[in-house]
Amino acid sequence: MIKTNGISKTVTTTQGQLQILKPISFDVKAGESVAIVGASGSGKSTLLSLLAGLDEVSEGEIYLDGQAMQNMDEEQRAQLRGAKVGFIFQSFMLVQSLTALENIMLPAEIAGHADAKKRALDILELVGLEHRASHYPNQLSGGEQQRVAIARAFISEPKILFADEPTGNLDAANSDKIEKLLFELNQNSNTTLVLVTHDSKLADKCQRQLHMQAGELTEVFATPVSEQAAQKVG
Amino acid sequence: MTNHTLSLAWRLFRHETKRGELTIILLAIILSVASVLSLSLFSERLKSALTEKSAEFIAADRVLDSNKPVDLAWIEKAQQMGLNTAHQTYARSMVFANEQMDLVDLRAADKGYPLKGEVKVAEKPFSPGTAINQLPNSGEAWLESQLFQTLAINIGDSIEVGDKIFKVSKVLTEVPDAGFSVFGGDPKVLISKVDLAATNVEGPGSRVNYSYFFTGEGDVLDEYYDWLEPQLDRELHDWDSIEDDESGIGRAVGRAGKYFLLASLLAIVLAAVSIAVAAQRYSMRHYDPVAIMKTLGAPKKMVQQIYLLQILFITILGLLIGVVLGFLIQQLVVAAIADKVDVSIDVWHWKPLIIAIFTGSVCAILFSLYPLMKLFSVSPLRVLRRDLGANLSSRLIQFVASGGAIFLLMWAYSQNIEVSAILFVSGIILVISLLAMTFGLIWVGRKLGQGKMGAWQLAWARIHRRAMDNSVQLISFAVTIMLLLIVLVMRNDMVQQWQNQLPQGTPNYFLVNISQAQQPNLQQHFADNQVVIEKFYPVVRGRFVAVNDEKVRTAVSKEDPDEQTRGRDGLGREANLTWSNTLQKGTEVVKGKWLGDNDDTDTVAERPYEVSIEQGIAERMDLSLGDKLTFNIGSEIVDLEVTSIRNVNWQSMQPNFFFVIEPRALKSFIPTYISSFNLPTERKADITELMKPFANVTLIDVDARINQLRNIVDQVSLAVEFILVLVLAAGALVLIAQVQASMDERQQELAILRTLGAKGTLIRASVVFEFIIIGVVAGAMAAAATEFSLYMLQTQIFEMPANWHLEYWFIAPIVGALVVGVLGALGCWRLLSLNTSHLLRQMV
Repeated sequence: MIKTNGISKTVTTTQGQLQILKPISFDVKAGESVAIVGASGSGKSTLLSLLAGLDEVSEGEIYLDGQAMQNMDEEQRAQLRGAKVGFIFQSFMLVQSLTALENIMLPAEIAGHADAKKRALDILELVGLEHRASHYPNQLSGGEQQRVAIARAFISEPKILFADEPTGNLDAANSDKIEKLLFELNQNSNTTLVLVTHDSKLADKCQRQLHMQAGELTEVFATPVSEQAAQKVG
Repeated sequence: MTNHTLSLAWRLFRHETKRGELTIILLAIILSVASVLSLSLFSERLKSALTEKSAEFIAADRVLDSNKPVDLAWIEKAQQMGLNTAHQTYARSMVFANEQMDLVDLRAADKGYPLKGEVKVAEKPFSPGTAINQLPNSGEAWLESQLFQTLAINIGDSIEVGDKIFKVSKVLTEVPDAGFSVFGGDPKVLISKVDLAATNVEGPGSRVNYSYFFTGEGDVLDEYYDWLEPQLDRELHDWDSIEDDESGIGRAVGRAGKYFLLASLLAIVLAAVSIAVAAQRYSMRHYDPVAIMKTLGAPKKMVQQIYLLQILFITILGLLIGVVLGFLIQQLVVAAIADKVDVSIDVWHWKPLIIAIFTGSVCAILFSLYPLMKLFSVSPLRVLRRDLGANLSSRLIQFVASGGAIFLLMWAYSQNIEVSAILFVSGIILVISLLAMTFGLIWVGRKLGQGKMGAWQLAWARIHRRAMDNSVQLISFAVTIMLLLIVLVMRNDMVQQWQNQLPQGTPNYFLVNISQAQQPNLQQHFADNQVVIEKFYPVVRGRFVAVNDEKVRTAVSKEDPDEQTRGRDGLGREANLTWSNTLQKGTEVVKGKWLGDNDDTDTVAERPYEVSIEQGIAERMDLSLGDKLTFNIGSEIVDLEVTSIRNVNWQSMQPNFFFVIEPRALKSFIPTYISSFNLPTERKADITELMKPFANVTLIDVDARINQLRNIVDQVSLAVEFILVLVLAAGALVLIAQVQASMDERQQELAILRTLGAKGTLIRASVVFEFIIIGVVAGAMAAAATEFSLYMLQTQIFEMPANWHLEYWFIAPIVGALVVGVLGALGCWRLLSLNTSHLLRQMV
């Protein structure tokens, strides 16, 4: 589903060129769940932004569902994101002036789906927020906002879901609920999941973990199946 | 555009309106439309009212003056077009009674006269007149007061005019088209037109002029003139309207018109500034939604459409509310001053509505364009990196775009590139100075903001850190303060100047023909009666016979338009010549040197006599420095050389002269004297008693003319006050919007400080200090820019003397500090009244 070949990112600072991501190559299979873990500033979010086509690579190749993103301009990448990608963010990133229902409808509307509202209502029910449809984000709790964000991410039935610290802003109880919901939906819809976290518990639920350190991919290992199973049961 | 885009834009607009997200930008558009509409509608109505009022001074909307009777078909054509017409014939003629005679200004009017204004009459000479809605019957004549004196007659007596005898039935106290000069005009006699032929004054060689009066709709009058113009002969005909009027009224109305225009232009700029501020804020608040939409795959075009549609919805809503509000404000103002200024609210003017809608739309679109472009450039990566702003960072584009837009708006509106350029250039200078000042501040702030973190240090630290944002804010504050100062100072200077022209105690009576022997007695007698008499001017009468040895008769009749003849001349016959070594107050030499200046005593006897002539007569008669003028005084011929040309203020109601001659030339002639005095209206009855011992002295009553002038100046001044109040209100709203917008940007910092446990008093004091500093700087810069703009405006546009306004160099920074400080404190108080978690939540 994702294929990278020597991707790196260099930025220009006042002190000159700075390589914030050293050349990395790895693949993610369809339906796989991958956690990118590492300390703050290790380059996790940069990697995520490149994988999701939110930023351009400085070097290397990156294929998303077979399409070469390094050759695309911002418009083409937006199109690709709209068609194949879903997002979940630490700070929820809901549009404050739209209601919960309208926030969920947004990707479907952007993609031009005629049944955006029906889809949104269905998925809102799925995340258990049908009674909050007409509430604005600032009228919802953090957990509820993230559930809206998850619903928004799944409405377009994306092939890949990118999640940036999806539980980073939540308390323990809400974190558990969100994790559960995320993995359930992920499994049911057979979506590829790439999430960035420094929460090892969350990372352990993924099939594979990529460890980042100082802009380098230091380790790639598969999470033991038993651990995954235990986590899911728990 | 897809239905989804439209529906998304509409939904965003609806929700954001409901949640108050669009309030500021909506208010800015409403403000621009409402202020421009109310100002221009009001000034349009006021202008018609003033033009209507001023039209009384020429007794019509338009006057065709002619030296010969005009083709009757011209008048019939005017009537066919729906215009009202009237006609009056003027003749200089001798009037005889009781073996006395006098040269008079004979006016024979037909029944339509006057089309505008009123004729006033009295039953006794020198008593106040009352308006009368008729003209003298056939065989009757109405005479001005002084004629009763010179001809020694009473009401009911007979006078002889040419070949016809008239019965004197009333004292004529006022005609609307009297003109404003005091001398040269002969006493008026009004008769009916039907009697004119019987007098036989219209003979060959007589000086007769014909005036044809027209009133009607402005466009019909213009259409008529278009038809008439090709048939007019410049040598014979003169087409006048009050706008062409060079008198005090004409100029006052013209200047007031320019003032209204200026005020409206400034209102447009104010509105534009507030829209720019609001649009900037709007754009910044939408960085996140744009980043989200882009992340979710929205193409750039869709994002652009959504936000352009929103601006369109906001603009339409703003226009609708603004038009209604502007109309209501204007209606309120008109109602409030209805008893003082005769403004008709029945007439609807479309132009202001079109201007207001045009202004509102152009402002809303052009001034939100750059903030929107910035908004569109927001990267989707912002969803991960919250510190990312817009990629478009050239403020130069913004300045050029908004500056160009303001200039175009001003130009389009005023159709006066001069006014627009002056305001615009001073704006640019202000902006550049402010930028320099801001960077100075950054430097100072770095020094002052160091040390223990108190409110003062916090304030400086914030100014320092937000230097660029502050510079924009500073500029908008300073521009607002500057515009308000300009409107205020212009109003003060203008009203002051009008009032100075006719201060309390302006002479309302003139004494002519005082003999040398009478002079001391008269002075004593007036002093005994507590009447202050002004300076005595010696006068001899002389006939102007030649210019550079060329006889003047043809030159005079050819060049002398009868408007001038009627008004202020005396050149067709004898002129009043005075002599003086000193230049009269209120006059200045514009060319040459004043009489006897730089003279060497040895050469005085050898050079020709010098004369100083008035500028208007110099232009009219094509006289220049060095010309030789020949006068016939008594039986002597006197040659004079023009050595200076003076500018005389004819509106001053002081004795003024076309010719002032050096005393040496006239020492062998026995003069009479002219003087003037002020007698308050309540003492008007004393005049007969006062003049009794001096039966031969002619008394000229100009009270009516002064009152006419005062009346219009008062009305114009009052109207200007209301315009000022409207612009001040607009300016205050803009300031509030600006503080509100900048408060928003401070929210995050306040929330953090609050969370960290900073006391409310510290936060409040630091914000207030910050605003006070900004207010002082903005005020000082505004004072400087105002001084520059005022100098340009007063000298180039309003044709009035420019002066320094030092007081505003103190007032502006203080007022700036106070107003901006208080508004800042209020805004801050609102934020601090919210609890911290609410503040934090609003930031997400």
